[in-house]
Amino acid sequence: MPAFAQSIGLPPQNSAAVALLVERLRVEFPVLRGKPKVAIRDLDISIRPGEILGLVGESGAGKTTLARAILNLPPAPGRITAGVVQFDGVDLLRLSEGELQRIRGRDISMVVPNPRGELNPLVPVGVQLASIAQVHLDKDRHSARAMALEMLQAVQIPDPERRMRAYPHELSGGMAQRVVIAIALMCSPRFIISDDATSGLDVTVQAQILELLRHLVRKQSSAMLFITRDIGITAHFCDRVAVIYRGEIMEIAPRESFFLAPRHPYTMLLLAAFLHNPQLRRAWTPPDASVRANVDTEIGCAYTDRCPRARKICQTTKPLLAERISGHFVRCHFPLERE
Amino acid sequence: MRIILYIGRRLLFIVPQLLGIVLVSFLLVKSIPGDPAVLMLGPTATPDAIASLHRKLGLDHSLPVQFWIYLKNLAHGDLGTSWQTTRPVLEDLIQRFPATLELVSLGLLLAVLIGVPLGLASAFNERGWLAGIANFYGLGAGSLPDFWLALVLIFIFYTTLQWVPAPLGRIDLTIVPPPPVTGVLTVDALLAGDWQAFRSAAGHLVLPALTLGLINAGPILKMTQSSMEKMLQSDFSRYEVLCGMPRRLVVRHALRNALPSVVTIISVLYGFLIGGAVLVEIVFSWGGAGQYAVQGVLNSDFYPVLGFVLFSAIFSLFVYLVVDLIYFAIDPRISH
Repeated sequence: MPAFAQSIGLPPQNSAAVALLVERLRVEFPVLRGKPKVAIRDLDISIRPGEILGLVGESGAGKTTLARAILNLPPAPGRITAGVVQFDGVDLLRLSEGELQRIRGRDISMVVPNPRGELNPLVPVGVQLASIAQVHLDKDRHSARAMALEMLQAVQIPDPERRMRAYPHELSGGMAQRVVIAIALMCSPRFIISDDATSGLDVTVQAQILELLRHLVRKQSSAMLFITRDIGITAHFCDRVAVIYRGEIMEIAPRESFFLAPRHPYTMLLLAAFLHNPQLRRAWTPPDASVRANVDTEIGCAYTDRCPRARKICQTTKPLLAERISGHFVRCHFPLERE
Repeated sequence: MRIILYIGRRLLFIVPQLLGIVLVSFLLVKSIPGDPAVLMLGPTATPDAIASLHRKLGLDHSLPVQFWIYLKNLAHGDLGTSWQTTRPVLEDLIQRFPATLELVSLGLLLAVLIGVPLGLASAFNERGWLAGIANFYGLGAGSLPDFWLALVLIFIFYTTLQWVPAPLGRIDLTIVPPPPVTGVLTVDALLAGDWQAFRSAAGHLVLPALTLGLINAGPILKMTQSSMEKMLQSDFSRYEVLCGMPRRLVVRHALRNALPSVVTIISVLYGFLIGGAVLVEIVFSWGGAGQYAVQGVLNSDFYPVLGFVLFSAIFSLFVYLVVDLIYFAIDPRISH
């Protein structure tokens, strides 16, 4: 990337200002005897070093698919059919499996939900942690173990010495989540993907884990893509917030602008749901949602059939993700106007 | 220490388990229609002769009393006498059980050697040609009767190619068998240093063991393939790939997680084959325990059947105990 940036005359800090760049990413799932289903449609995002970008959307919006596609591991049987995932000057989608192995878990790591099922049930937690250091950092068994213990202390697991010898089924959900965070932070990665990492945890534990995650990310000055279904969390955790719907970014803005002046009708619906405000929710739900025809999302706006503001043009022309005010992008023909 | 306690407890439980097995099989065997006295004395026997033989055999007692007598004799190591061989059942079984064990063990070993590698290879590459062969093989092995395969093998390797000795027993009639130590002819021949006997015994063993191996590799292959595929697609394997773990580590961890189900199917087959190999035993005139038991069932010869059930039960319980110990070694969750 630096060499490329210089060749086209970009100032060097500009190229350094992007930790991860996703361009025109498209992930499709094959459908038996039919057109493939598009899970991620021509998606662009960029994340700066040290930045936490929140990604909000309902189930099936493509959050996890995006997270895994960034690591070039889309959920089977999905396939990445177009796009670029630029990291450290290379396109991850063009790397060999061996090259990807060196990046996954070391430079880009992922915090997964439901971690008890994701850890190998037959291997003690400490060994699993240490093997990350052995594989990625070329540590010998002894120093890898020491690192693993250090990480368990860093994620504030009670009695880390004992937890090193514990098997995944012996951990509580919160502890397993901490272990997975420890694994993700082991190699001081420059980019972390947190996929619904705190869902299913107690609210108090959730707050602790988030605080810990933010602290460690800031300390290592990593960038993070923070995926969640809970729009409320993003309000005090993320620097920028993006809303994804049917594999497309609908709105992306700095946190203040996003919450003080949301512009997309879908964002309004999400906020109404979060605020438990039925009046607001009704206002942002079309009265005749069920009778609307299925819109071809290839040419029209993906949100048309649920949008109270939709008109004819929404069905025939896909709106662009346009910048309304500085840094605040909205994909809508009729966004809310604010001054 | 924990393990020794566990084994001790398991051994304690074996006694009531065996009692239950003996009771059930006693009732079942007695409920088979047929009167041994009639069969022993022939069609010309008088009712008086039959009645006196009944008394002699203890058949005039009620069923609970008969069972009690059987148990009492069992406690003294007396498993009854077979009226067909006119020898004590214990002696017969000590001679025949090792023959079956030798055949079944070797057959199962072959099945594992065929099934496990083929199953693994096809799990690694689900759409590869090896997976195609494995699928076809799994289907074929499941649908072929073992006695038919045995006849085909005899036709090819004995009748046509003459590579193996005639399918008549465990050793050439002209060769003096080695002095029995374990009852397993190949082992006894080795112990006696008798190479000629060993070669003959091993030659006789090849085809029946191959038959059992080829047939029973099917389920082992299927189980290995499916559990390995499941483990490779499991959340933890996917997570290890996400963490950039090298392929060989991912595979090794998946294999370890898949192993318990493979061990289970092998142990189930082992217990089953003791009696289930009887058709192969008959085709090769093996003179094993299964054959002995079937003869017993057909001729109302109760004690060989009961003795066989008892021997098989002890063997199965032993196999399951060993399997549990293997689980201990594979899965630390059980003992932890």
